[in-house]
Amino acid sequence: MSNPVEPQQVQQVAKLARIAISEDSLAESAGQLNQILGYVQQLQAVELPADVKPFFGAIESVNAIRADENKPSTDREQILKNAPDSNGEFYQVPPVFK
Amino acid sequence: MISESQREAIKFEDVTVIIGLEVHVQLDTQSKLFCGCSTDHGADPNTQTCPVCTGQPGSLPVINQRALELSIRTGLALNCQIARYTKWDRKNYFYPDLPKGYQISQFDQPICGPGQLSVTDAKESFPPRLVNIERAHLEEDAGKSVHDDAGRAKSKIDLNRTGTPLLEIVTKPDMRSAEEAKAFLNELKLILTYVGVSDCDMQHGNLRCDGNINLHIDIDGETIATPIVEIKNLNSFRNAERALSYEAVRQFDAWQEDGKTIGDAPKRTFGWSDAKQETVPQREKEEAADYRYFPDPDLIAVTISEQQIEDIQSTIGELPPQIRERLKADYSLKQYDADVIVSQGRGVVDYFLAVADGCGSGKVASNWVSQEVLRHLGETETEIDQYPVGAEKLTELLKVVVSGDLDQTRAKDVLAEMVESGASVAEASDKLGIVKVDSSEIDSLCQQLIDENEKVVNQIKEGNDKAVGRLIGAARKINPNANPGAVKDRILAMIAGE
Repeated sequence: MSNPVEPQQVQQVAKLARIAISEDSLAESAGQLNQILGYVQQLQAVELPADVKPFFGAIESVNAIRADENKPSTDREQILKNAPDSNGEFYQVPPVFK
Repeated sequence: MISESQREAIKFEDVTVIIGLEVHVQLDTQSKLFCGCSTDHGADPNTQTCPVCTGQPGSLPVINQRALELSIRTGLALNCQIARYTKWDRKNYFYPDLPKGYQISQFDQPICGPGQLSVTDAKESFPPRLVNIERAHLEEDAGKSVHDDAGRAKSKIDLNRTGTPLLEIVTKPDMRSAEEAKAFLNELKLILTYVGVSDCDMQHGNLRCDGNINLHIDIDGETIATPIVEIKNLNSFRNAERALSYEAVRQFDAWQEDGKTIGDAPKRTFGWSDAKQETVPQREKEEAADYRYFPDPDLIAVTISEQQIEDIQSTIGELPPQIRERLKADYSLKQYDADVIVSQGRGVVDYFLAVADGCGSGKVASNWVSQEVLRHLGETETEIDQYPVGAEKLTELLKVVVSGDLDQTRAKDVLAEMVESGASVAEASDKLGIVKVDSSEIDSLCQQLIDENEKVVNQIKEGNDKAVGRLIGAARKINPNANPGAVKDRILAMIAGE
């Protein structure tokens, strides 16, 4: 494989994704990622006719569009129940600036 | 490395300031970009949200037709190429006011491609500047955080704004001064309001601006650049101008001090402190790759047809740059005067055109509209459609002014009366006791003045025509309806004929 994932990159990606990952498992995770990427990379070997254009999704349909109309919003009390912390009006999170 | 003594030899006047802007415009839709929640301001916190805009599992976004149309409309007004195929991507980052952990944005296939906007300063303090637009992409807004200043209490999050459609317009680094940047913002805002895509209300954050700035310095035949700084959240055009001016000087001083160039430091993020009147550093900018953009699998691409583009193009109408040119070419206005009228919006332009066409003089119409009418609108904080004197009535008044039957001062009194009471020109003139003074009355009035003012007459005879001003003043005291222009011409003629 061309550019194998290094344990250090795993650490970096985990940090960006806010996933805690122990030093011990970095090498293992890197190995797993390389396996997955290697599997996907098999596709690179497929020879394509020149007129096949890149696509960005698994389905070819386009234009799922809705009219600009208002729908009732969710009741606040109900939607705030999904949050770990709220004061009945706002969601609450630990202080952002310390 | 450039030595300290070489650096010291460079003056600020010798450097080139390089500015590019990113402008977020809230598009004027009723509902959010991907759900039916309202986009209205001022609702109670978290009362305009739903599973889609709060990113609940299993919810699916569906794009808003009008947001697409307004984006295309904006693109066309900015001479942008419009994509025939456009898609949305996830921009991944974590912040409490971003409930999904990613923002739905556009990475590599934005709805609007390259375009351009020409910026001219009415006062000609800089030459016309062509600013290239790099792209404009359609994305969703984040929510609002309310932080405790002391940093002790929890931060509060309101997600009403989450998912509101924003068009982010990105320019090339084509502006060369803070003044040009401000002029660009003014022109952009004017165009956006002309085509009706946004109210651009900055107080509500419906138009937000970030600026990227650095300096290019020519030294010994080589051009070096200072590290790029992005100034975030410039919440008024005045602050944008101040912040960019300040930052240019700050970068120059920093370079004089440490000699650091663009390769020595990453791009940094600054904010503008209104209190300190200076730019202050914020968190270090994440690299572009850190957002790990990828196509949003919840959304499918949108294709835009030639027909759709044509249909939208046909409703755009004349834009400010074209109107200015037309006012200059067809109505003999100066750039500055054309700009005053155009910058007031389509309503004032239409009013002006009706009056100018009606009274037959673009110049007279321009003077009256930009002085009398706009002053009244400014003082009363009203719009042109609320102005008590309609274009027809003002036309009627200005016809009398153009024909010379009514002088400016008296005409202003008439207009004031028309504004005050809604009277017609005739009614207002009656009320003010204005009657047309016929030429024999003018003659006898002038004769009387000549007889009574021998000293002034002698001055005029000696070639001092300006002295006639005193006689005009005297004439008005005797008969306020006497046209000063006619009195002046008549007196000079009578003296010359003696």
